[in-house]
Amino acid sequence: MKRFLIGAMALTLGAIPVTAQSLEDLNIQIHGYATQGFLYTAQNNILTTSSSNGSPAWSEAVVNITSQPTPKFRIGVQGRYFLLGNYGNAITLDWAAADYKASDKLGVRFGKVKIPNGLLNETQDIDPSYIWSLLPQGNYPISSRNSQLAEYGGVVYGTFNLGQKMGKLEYRGWGGEVAIGPNDGYWVAFKEEGIVLTNGLNAVSSGTALRWKTPLPGLMLGASFTRLNKSSSPFVDTYVVPAGPSKGVTITTPGAMVLNAINEPAFFARYEKNRIMIAGEYVREPAFIILSGLSPYPERSDSRPWYAMTSYKVTDKLTGGVYTTQDVNHQAVLGPARYFKDWALSGRYDFNQYLYAKAEQHFIDGTAVGFDADLNPNGIKPSTKLTILKIGMSF
Amino acid sequence: MKKLLYAALFVASASIFIVQASAQVIVIANPSVKASEVSKNDLKEVFTGTSTSLGGGSVVPILLKAGTAHEEFLQAYIGKNDTAYRAGWRSLVFSGQASMPKSLDPEAAVVEFIAHNAGTIGYISKATPHEGVKVLTVR
Repeated sequence: MKRFLIGAMALTLGAIPVTAQSLEDLNIQIHGYATQGFLYTAQNNILTTSSSNGSPAWSEAVVNITSQPTPKFRIGVQGRYFLLGNYGNAITLDWAAADYKASDKLGVRFGKVKIPNGLLNETQDIDPSYIWSLLPQGNYPISSRNSQLAEYGGVVYGTFNLGQKMGKLEYRGWGGEVAIGPNDGYWVAFKEEGIVLTNGLNAVSSGTALRWKTPLPGLMLGASFTRLNKSSSPFVDTYVVPAGPSKGVTITTPGAMVLNAINEPAFFARYEKNRIMIAGEYVREPAFIILSGLSPYPERSDSRPWYAMTSYKVTDKLTGGVYTTQDVNHQAVLGPARYFKDWALSGRYDFNQYLYAKAEQHFIDGTAVGFDADLNPNGIKPSTKLTILKIGMSF
Repeated sequence: MKKLLYAALFVASASIFIVQASAQVIVIANPSVKASEVSKNDLKEVFTGTSTSLGGGSVVPILLKAGTAHEEFLQAYIGKNDTAYRAGWRSLVFSGQASMPKSLDPEAAVVEFIAHNAGTIGYISKATPHEGVKVLTVR
């Protein structure tokens, strides 16, 4: 699938010079942004950083190149350097796609494309586009962001005008292959138990999303449905005997992880008028994992993350906002590891159209998202206060 | 009571200023654009990347790089300042959904470009000469 798409894109790229008359006609643009964050937590270390000592280990840099030789056809590629604690520290391909928009009613995009599910998935990695430093982590976990952002496949999209009294309806349908890399944050808990998926996990993904721009100016209501087909991948479990006559002996067990099909519905809404923005989203994420050859698996989870957020543009340069979010795994045992609840207060100041700074305070209750045992060797405390400072520039 | 009256007077004066300001900007298009008038909402959708059609034909928005006419256009028809407006476009650019519209300077360059490129639409000060382009009425 990946090879086919790369081949198709190469052919498309090769065709551009034939249709273009000059470099100017290709309408080539280069854009980018970079951010540097600083995290400080009063209790636990979070997101695999040493945040309780204050951590600057949060850097991102993005560059994209696009060409639009005709108003209806566009092609582009975007690369990213991402570092957050032990996550990333690598350059990855965000997306690389060709896009043909026949009309407002029908467009198609293929290659490595962003997955347009939920309210914010397509833009969750674009720090300059929103006030928040950290999005609601139950819905948009930054540790798994690269895997959830894009797929090798295609998206069909368009907008239908329903008439003055009914507003507009945007649709998007997608299908392809999602690759959850071996270093994705999704596997952190497994790694800490000695289970390593050497190849990560690839799964066929598909879905559809509808966004209704209601007749009430600024109000959008939406829903999406994402399906991840059943998939499996080999793993190696490493166990070091902790005591007894065999103390220190390493036992390795090969096996296969089976991730059963996941059906993920999401419902969301956003209202934007003048200086105010209000939004909310609810998602259900049931999952069923089997690790063949190991006990006590299988493991079921049933997370139902939601958030409600609002922001207000105090002046042209200053924006303030607040959100609350909860993510409860209804299959987990009772205790702080079952849930993640967070209140966030955020501010953003735009010095000019290129440079901005953000400050954010989180009041986190529960440990279901963002905390790992290795960096909290004395145990994870049930609540955490997190302060984030961030500076960014884009062009 | 006096304070309230002063406040009301201030708001009313500000509103008059905004109306006058928007009246100084005109929307222009290449003669190939079929529409002769455009609703405020359709104009906003074209210039925020939500829509690429007007009156049944494809259109391409052209921006001014900066200046009074640019600020007035954004204030009157988009409801955002330049920073917020360009941040919205960057969101589309970085998510692979659009390319940034061409920004030109000065206004005469916008007129020149729109006059020679089919399907383009832009805005300039009313006082700027605009031969070779059509002026769209904003409803």
